Amino acid sequence: MSFITQYMVNQGVPQETVILILMLPIVATIIAFGRQIIGVRGFGVYAPLIITFAFLATGLKYGLAIFIVILLVGTLMRFLVRYIRLLYLPRMAIVLTAVALAILAIFLEGAYSGRKGLISASIFAILIMITLVEKFVAVQTERGAREAIILTIETLFLSVVCYWVVTSIWLRNLVFIYPFWIIFGAVIINILLGKWTGLRLSEYWRFREVIKKIELPQQK
Amino acid sequence: MLSFLKKSQHILGINARNLNYLRPSNSLRAIRIADNKLLTKKILRKASLPILQNYGLIRQIKELKGFDWTVLPPTFTLKPNRGLGGQGIVVVYGRKKKFPYPWIKADGRLVDIKDLENHILNILEGTFSLTSLPDIAFFEERIKLLKLLKSYVYRGIPDIRIIVYNSVPVMAQLRLPTRESSGQANLHQGGIGVGIDLGTGITTTAIHRGRLIEYAPDTRLLLKGLQIPEWKEILKLAIQAQIVSRLNFLGVDIAIDREKGPIISELNARPGLSIQIANLSPLADRLKRIKGLKVKSPLKGVKISQDLFGGEVEEILEEVSGKKVIGINEPIEIIDQQGNKYQTMAKIDTGAYRTAICASLTHQLGLNETMKYKKVRGALGLEERPIIEFSFILDKKLVSTEAFVADRSQMKYDIIVGRKDLKQFLVDPSKNVLMSSRALAKLKKS
Repeated sequence: MSFITQYMVNQGVPQETVILILMLPIVATIIAFGRQIIGVRGFGVYAPLIITFAFLATGLKYGLAIFIVILLVGTLMRFLVRYIRLLYLPRMAIVLTAVALAILAIFLEGAYSGRKGLISASIFAILIMITLVEKFVAVQTERGAREAIILTIETLFLSVVCYWVVTSIWLRNLVFIYPFWIIFGAVIINILLGKWTGLRLSEYWRFREVIKKIELPQQK
Repeated sequence: MLSFLKKSQHILGINARNLNYLRPSNSLRAIRIADNKLLTKKILRKASLPILQNYGLIRQIKELKGFDWTVLPPTFTLKPNRGLGGQGIVVVYGRKKKFPYPWIKADGRLVDIKDLENHILNILEGTFSLTSLPDIAFFEERIKLLKLLKSYVYRGIPDIRIIVYNSVPVMAQLRLPTRESSGQANLHQGGIGVGIDLGTGITTTAIHRGRLIEYAPDTRLLLKGLQIPEWKEILKLAIQAQIVSRLNFLGVDIAIDREKGPIISELNARPGLSIQIANLSPLADRLKRIKGLKVKSPLKGVKISQDLFGGEVEEILEEVSGKKVIGINEPIEIIDQQGNKYQTMAKIDTGAYRTAICASLTHQLGLNETMKYKKVRGALGLEERPIIEFSFILDKKLVSTEAFVADRSQMKYDIIVGRKDLKQFLVDPSKNVLMSSRALAKLKKS
């Protein structure tokens, strides 16, 4: 099965590209598993997925730092901008501008103290993370700060787990050698996940008081 | 651990709700209607079900500029048409009498026209909408709070959420807004959920932020034991709303106005599951029992619901007091001198001191030994009545009594049980009051 991937690499397609494309179904499956079985909600599929791949481009250390800076600046700006009563899109544009400035400041600091890993990071990954700020700010206004913080932590948790999975050498080799088995397996698992009607792990905790109260009919 | 897993199968989780109940029961078209508050109201009004009045509608920015603010009364709610989970709702409960006449929000903050305009702009842009698409803002009447709930509620609109499946209410909870929920009743915004016994409409257990509580926050008001007024009417209304909405599984929100009575405030196509915690009772079993039932009329649905899922309050009461809860009419077994049992219906009368039995019945049973005579002051003046001694069984308890013998041949019941013989019981006047005279005659015959 691996001859197709081998052929592509021989013809000059970067190996990393092939592996990342094949990793996508695995990461999506992990996120689906997290939602359906464990009960980690996060911000849908897109946000944790894109953050995972952004982390790959920047490295976990800088990725997390940039992510947290983006969130903090975004939230701060939301509070500041709220007092000048603006329409949604211009308001969001101002928040994005502030976040972009903050990232610029991070790069300035990186250049000043000679952090090679940071200043050579792919800018597209960081740009994508910046655009996520809209989603975070929207959740803050819609569902309140508390919910937004919980969802953010869950998203980050998912992304870090996915990052570890994607960077595992063993899985990388597996994906490269058996690309179709991996995709086939992912589809099967997702069909099963989509039919799963049992409780999510988080719901065992959520409903613990009710479960304690339930009386089984035929018990000795 | 194993029994914990086994027990947990009775809980309805989100996965099972979506896959087993929402998808197969609810058509997309019906869901779209329920997600659209204005459309829902239109459909409910057409079916002449009670709904909240609209004060004004703003579809576009242009309409906002030309909006006549004087139509608004001092108290109202401002809602987005397609809001999700109570987001974007502003509850205004009063207005200051001094210039610039600002309104007072449920959390005590002041708002003026400019603030409202700003909020409406956000609504129009779709900030609070399910799909983030442009939305409509509307002003709705705020109900007049019931006196009963006044001290429990922090300046908001309490409502009753009833989950209706297949024309049968399966679970209900009272949702009380708190200070932190800024006047809204939604649980994940910080409201209190109080479980309601479907049979009687009496509240049972309460949760706040996922934790069990006994008292309303910052007060010493007990949350359990509240009697929701017009309970049957509320259940009936919930079923009617379900039938009209064509959603086979939904949450119906009903508010009670002090003057107008129960009003349908919202329909919810994806009802939350924490109602199970508020009731300390799992949903999955109840839904399974209702699945596939053919319910002919709303009243039948009310009956099924009350019979199947009610009665927990009574059990709790019986457990606590050690006394049996009986209704106004109860089957009774009178024991004659040979030890034979004669079954009939008795009226429970806490207004009477002694039990009274019909003279014809005592003849029939051979209970003729008069113990003594006693003078009684009745509505007909002073009279002397004979007293006899015998035993009866009421709700599985043996009671020996000294009862008056009276001519009750013109009365519906041959025996009334007075409070002297009711010391082992609690009387609930709302229990089995529906005993028809035909059913009584049938019982007498047998």
